[in-house]
Amino acid sequence: MKLPKIRELTEAIKALLSKPYTSKFPKKPHIPHPNFRGQPVYNEDKCVGCLACEQVCPVEAIDHRDDADPSNPKRIMIHYTDTCIFCGSCEAACIADKEGIKLSNEWDLAFFDRKTAQETIEKELQLCEICGEPIACKDHLKWIAEKIGELSYSSPTLYFSHLKSLGIIDDNLIQASRDYGRSDRVKILCARCRRESTLTTSSR
Amino acid sequence: MAKSIIPIGPYHPLQEEPEFFTLTVDGETVVDIDVSIGYNHRGIEKLSEMKTFDQSTFVIERICGICSTSHPFAYTRAVEDIIPVEVPDRAKYIRTIIGEGERIHSHLLWLGLAGHFLGYNTVYMWVWKLREEILDAMEILSGNRNNYAMFKPGGVRRDINSEDIPPALRKIESIVPTLNKLKKAIIDDPVLHARLKGIGILTKEEALDYCALGPTSRASGVAKDVRKDAPYGAYDQVQWDMIVTENGDVFDKVVVRVLEMFESVKIMKQCLENLPPGEIDLNIKNIPPGEGIGAHEAPRGETFHYVRSDGTNRPARHKVRAPTFMNLPTFKATVIGETISDATIILASIDPCYCCTERMSVMNCRGKKIYSGEDLVRLSQDKTKLIQKKMGLK
Repeated sequence: MKLPKIRELTEAIKALLSKPYTSKFPKKPHIPHPNFRGQPVYNEDKCVGCLACEQVCPVEAIDHRDDADPSNPKRIMIHYTDTCIFCGSCEAACIADKEGIKLSNEWDLAFFDRKTAQETIEKELQLCEICGEPIACKDHLKWIAEKIGELSYSSPTLYFSHLKSLGIIDDNLIQASRDYGRSDRVKILCARCRRESTLTTSSR
Repeated sequence: MAKSIIPIGPYHPLQEEPEFFTLTVDGETVVDIDVSIGYNHRGIEKLSEMKTFDQSTFVIERICGICSTSHPFAYTRAVEDIIPVEVPDRAKYIRTIIGEGERIHSHLLWLGLAGHFLGYNTVYMWVWKLREEILDAMEILSGNRNNYAMFKPGGVRRDINSEDIPPALRKIESIVPTLNKLKKAIIDDPVLHARLKGIGILTKEEALDYCALGPTSRASGVAKDVRKDAPYGAYDQVQWDMIVTENGDVFDKVVVRVLEMFESVKIMKQCLENLPPGEIDLNIKNIPPGEGIGAHEAPRGETFHYVRSDGTNRPARHKVRAPTFMNLPTFKATVIGETISDATIILASIDPCYCCTERMSVMNCRGKKIYSGEDLVRLSQDKTKLIQKKMGLK
């Protein structure tokens, strides 16, 4: 009966003499372990804008908006930090060697206005040279062309966009004409225009 | 003799969860108890059917904050049962490590709360301080203190790096001396003996009749544990003992949980030291039509999941049975006959988790009229009129 009391007393004295266990958080910043899963952050240079992360996100925290303005076409990738659950699915699905979007150690995500709880990056968009619809991000087409190597010469969309990114050929002007001619088959086209141009010009 | 009814809920003031107990008391003694749940229905099963098999794990993880690995563990086993496949050894070991880490922190959380319920706030503070070490170890291993996001059908999402193992092991082993002290302090504390011994006894027969699970049944002498009965993960490849005690009172439930933590530390240590090399994921692409079941011994008892697939990438049906669903009815056997002051700790002794349990609630209307929304509005308006009439208002 006495022994347990002594044991607990020792523990109490130890607790009295030792420093508080809790951290002095606001005064001393909290540094999480490097393994900590924090807010995902886009890497604008590595991201190719393929939307794989948007597909796999279980909480729809990733969205995109296409701005098909012919003078400056761009795709805006949006990550809503308020709905994100930091599961890391986006990083696991990233096609750019898992470098396009990466979980960081960032944990201090408090905000006053929900509208500000998002981070965006802009990617240059490739438009169809006939109809002006977005095809994919320029970096994405380049990524595919590099991935499949010489096979990319089977698709004008791929090899032209690749050659353009290398600076070998000049930028073509986007034609407003909807009449598909034979020469249209050798252009950067969206899937619909490619089908139309192939179907309408092959029988002639 | 006149009997009184004491309502506890719909929001439990102590356990801070939505449930409703109706205690019928005769003086100080509880003579009847009725439990009603259904205040926290979130439609998780339906939500899981709207996500792909891979995405569903994150919804399932959020059924319960404490059992955030038990539910994905059972779910992934159910999905793997449809195909069926055997996950790689390394994934099995990682799953076991995460599952056991969760068991330790869940038991510590319960122990602290039990101390708090009894007025032993020292135990509460001491134990929750200890729990921090485990949560830190889990942060090193999985990247988060809770909601580990480690599980996926066919394996695990994140590998455990070999350089992370020694610091995590140090953290896990550092709790053992304190846990030993705690064990002694609890097992021979005279006040705890007076409060917990012989209180809320669930006999072996009753435990079997009510199909009690987990520590609730093991404290009553029913040696039932999915990890031993139908081994999965790495549980058959490591050395550990099932803790079974005989008395079935609240004190034994405490003892079972405290001793189980030592076993969990043992399992985690063996798994981390003998982590086999190899793949961690099978990269399952398609789930064929069929149905599968999965079970996992959660800290509170056996969690059971049923998943049916129709060949698409989403589950056609997903059924969850949480351990509290089976342990809840044992209150009929344990609370009746005890005093109200003891009812608090008995109601907490099964480590209830109502958020896990709330899958679907059906109200039995016993042949009476079922009111529609319009009827209810009319009833309410009639009552207002009645009151106005009584008060002499127009």
